[in-house]
Amino acid sequence: MASFGSKVFLSLGRTNVSGVGFKKTGNRATYATALTVNSSSTNKDLPARGGKGSTGRRPKRGPGEPRTEKMALDQDWTSVYPAATPFRANAVPLPLRMGYPVKRGIPPEKKGNLELIKIPNFLHLTPAAIRKHCEALKPFCTEWPSALDTDAKCDELFPVKIQSTDYVSAGPSIRNPSARVVHMKVKLSSLNLDDHARKKMLKLVGDRYCKDSDILTIKTESCPLRQQNYDYAMYLLTVLYHESWKIEPWEAEKTRADMEEYSWEDSTSQKNILDTLLRINATGEGEEAEVREQLLGREEVLEYKDSVETLKNEEPSESNMLRYKEAVRKVLKV
Amino acid sequence: MAAPCRHVGHHIQKNGRFLRININQLFACSFSESKEAIVIPRKKSWNKEAVLEALASTVQRDPTAYPYQFQDDSYLSPRTSIEFKLFSLSQESGRAAAKYFVNSNPKLFTKDFAEPHIPYLMPESVALRLEEVSQEALEERISLRKVSAAVEMYDQLLQSGTAVSMETTHKLLDLICLYCDRDPVQEGTPQTEDRRKPMGRQAMDFLKCTWKENNNAERIFNLLPERDARCYSALIRGMVKHGAYAKAFNLYEDLLNNRLSADVHIFNALISAVPDVRKKNNERWDLIAELLNQMNEQKVRPNLLTFNSVLKALRQCSFLAKTFSPQILNEMKALGIAPSLATYEHILTVFFYKSASSGPSNMAILQDVLMELEGTSFTCQDPNDVLFFATAMKLCLDNKDLELGYKVHSLVEVGENWRLLGDSYQQALYYGRFFNLLCLMEHIDVVLKWYSRIVPSLLYPNPQGMKNLLQALDTDSRLDLLPTIWKDIKSLGHDNKVDLVEELLSLMARDEHSAEVQESFAACALDVKSVFGERPKKEWSTSSLSHISILLLRANKLQKAWDMLQLFKDKNRVPSGALLSSFLTACRCSASPQRAVELVQLSAAFSLPTTPELAKRTLAEFELNDKQR
Repeated sequence: MASFGSKVFLSLGRTNVSGVGFKKTGNRATYATALTVNSSSTNKDLPARGGKGSTGRRPKRGPGEPRTEKMALDQDWTSVYPAATPFRANAVPLPLRMGYPVKRGIPPEKKGNLELIKIPNFLHLTPAAIRKHCEALKPFCTEWPSALDTDAKCDELFPVKIQSTDYVSAGPSIRNPSARVVHMKVKLSSLNLDDHARKKMLKLVGDRYCKDSDILTIKTESCPLRQQNYDYAMYLLTVLYHESWKIEPWEAEKTRADMEEYSWEDSTSQKNILDTLLRINATGEGEEAEVREQLLGREEVLEYKDSVETLKNEEPSESNMLRYKEAVRKVLKV
Repeated sequence: MAAPCRHVGHHIQKNGRFLRININQLFACSFSESKEAIVIPRKKSWNKEAVLEALASTVQRDPTAYPYQFQDDSYLSPRTSIEFKLFSLSQESGRAAAKYFVNSNPKLFTKDFAEPHIPYLMPESVALRLEEVSQEALEERISLRKVSAAVEMYDQLLQSGTAVSMETTHKLLDLICLYCDRDPVQEGTPQTEDRRKPMGRQAMDFLKCTWKENNNAERIFNLLPERDARCYSALIRGMVKHGAYAKAFNLYEDLLNNRLSADVHIFNALISAVPDVRKKNNERWDLIAELLNQMNEQKVRPNLLTFNSVLKALRQCSFLAKTFSPQILNEMKALGIAPSLATYEHILTVFFYKSASSGPSNMAILQDVLMELEGTSFTCQDPNDVLFFATAMKLCLDNKDLELGYKVHSLVEVGENWRLLGDSYQQALYYGRFFNLLCLMEHIDVVLKWYSRIVPSLLYPNPQGMKNLLQALDTDSRLDLLPTIWKDIKSLGHDNKVDLVEELLSLMARDEHSAEVQESFAACALDVKSVFGERPKKEWSTSSLSHISILLLRANKLQKAWDMLQLFKDKNRVPSGALLSSFLTACRCSASPQRAVELVQLSAAFSLPTTPELAKRTLAEFELNDKQR
């Protein structure tokens, strides 16, 4: 009985002794027993090899615990991520998951997650960090002129706005080719343009004009330096302004297809409605031209004209269509 | 990754002519709204790095981060001090290897990525270009630090009869004396690294090469038609640096006989050589005094290094030092030379360690020193400056003065003073002593706070430090933290220090604790067991085995406890009677008479004196069937 029991113990003991599951750091054989002086400095640098066990290899050095475990709850995060650095899983104490989940799974965890490393992160620009940066940068700033306290005043006194971007990154070179781009924004209402000039300007700039905000944006990046791009943008603005005021002889050949907006006079719609009305009131009581004039003056016809112009110039909407319908009914007396 | 920062500016008209017209128009119509004049302030100008420096000032030290040169990854950061050294050395050697490749293949590395230009990244010329026998070739060899080649070139020049200028000769002599007539170790070739022996810095002398008789420097020196003070200076300093002290003094006599006046460097070197030339303290002091007088006569103004070397020489003169060091300080003040950290370090050592009586009254000196230095920023002026902090902290530790310890540490935290903590060895000494002082004197909460702040980012505690921490935990009855400390011990690589582990186990097993604490202790004990299990060479000891068993029993892990008993048998260790009786109690709780019988048989096998008692108890408390009787 006892011997059987001991055999059982032996086998259990063996599995215990040769068990894995605990990994440790390397370099054990050269340790001395405890010294008062830092013992590590007396040891050899190259760890001794072999003689560790039957395999003769050192057990693999496992991972230490990530330093998020040691982080205090009230630590200063701005010191942990002071500058833009890639995501480090063992330095960010958040349980993030990212990635496409495999079938019936969840997104992979943050440890060793390439997706989290690839994307740009803003861990270095938390609100606390931005507050601190602003405080530190205040000595470099001058005061805002007290007279410019509303946006409207700024717009009217300084209508042209220039925007450019500076880039900072860690690397052997401080130059960044994207830093040469200059955006110049100006409101067309602040430029002195009459109707013809405005239309010509809009045709010249095309896409660069935003109708909703009435801002013309010129982006220059064709020159290698920012100063050159700025000069070029100014030059473009000047040229556009002067050119839009000039009237070229060939502009007289502007056809109906070149017009920017629809005008009802002399259009097919006018012709059509007048023909229709004439035919309705077929009892010709006089000259056609006079009748046409008379018809044009009539209220329903004017209303019809308005509704057609609204439909064509603005986007078709419920109300516009209804108005058109009403106008047509009134004109045709249906 | 780029961090764009927007720079939005309102354009102030400079170029756009039409804009001026426009603005005037606008002014005309809308000026009625505001009568204030728009004053646009002048733009400030600043240094190129000023903005970056301002932003950097918002960042403090991250207490859990490893030194910046390591990869911040849980696999790749060094966890023990051995790893720290290994990693930093491997990084340096990698860098040296890279530099070696860049320098030996300069044609492959011609493209310059850096803007603005960084000279360090471009290949340096290490190969000699000039081959003909000329003075320029000699200068080139000198600037590339090729000692033997330079000497050869010089000899060839002399043979060919070309005169070598005095300037070049000075440089050549400086070169030879600095490197003791041997070529300095080149980058990228394998180097023997210096080992630090615990016996102190005298051991380092054995690694330096010794000045040989009649080596190239002396030969060239003797060949010189005229020798001026600078040649003498080079030779004397070289001799002192490489151990030929007596010769240095002889040469100095020579110099005096030639009616030349020595410069301050010669005197510094000679003063530092005094302890090796004279053996008795009186003679040493006399020699130093004589040298100083001569310095005075020759109207050579002493500098900081002079006084520091006097103090350093005095360190070896024990009792004399106490008398004379205040005088030296006064002289320094009179001359207007501010003492550096090395000065203070010498003084502290003199007063505390070299004199016979050193007691609490002497702490006043340290207090005065710290008060004077409070809030000052230091730069390194003397190679021995780095020893100050370690010595100061040692003093605080020996005298168990916590206040002064904090003061010293606050001095370290001023500005850039952390650079004066020295290399990793000195830094480890400083922080190790500071931590020991805290463990001895402070409340456990403060100790733990500091522990989390400096371990392991600044300090890898040695086993003695961990023992002190365990003591502190014990004193303040925070033994429930022991499992976390065990984890730290494991990651620091101290889990193979038998006595440390045994102390940990004994602390855990000593008293009964609450249930969940016992659970954690039991888990810890199992961990310890598996650590021991993986190490076939290390021996178990009886006490550790019994501690582990007790812990497992207390947490009711019976099966594992039985395994421990088996281990006892394997390793030929005898469990104590108390252990077996507690086993018996546990068996009773779990009502396994089978086990009880085995227990008795085991104890009989070990022939313990308590066997009959155990047998009696078993009979009394269990219901055994006949077979088991």
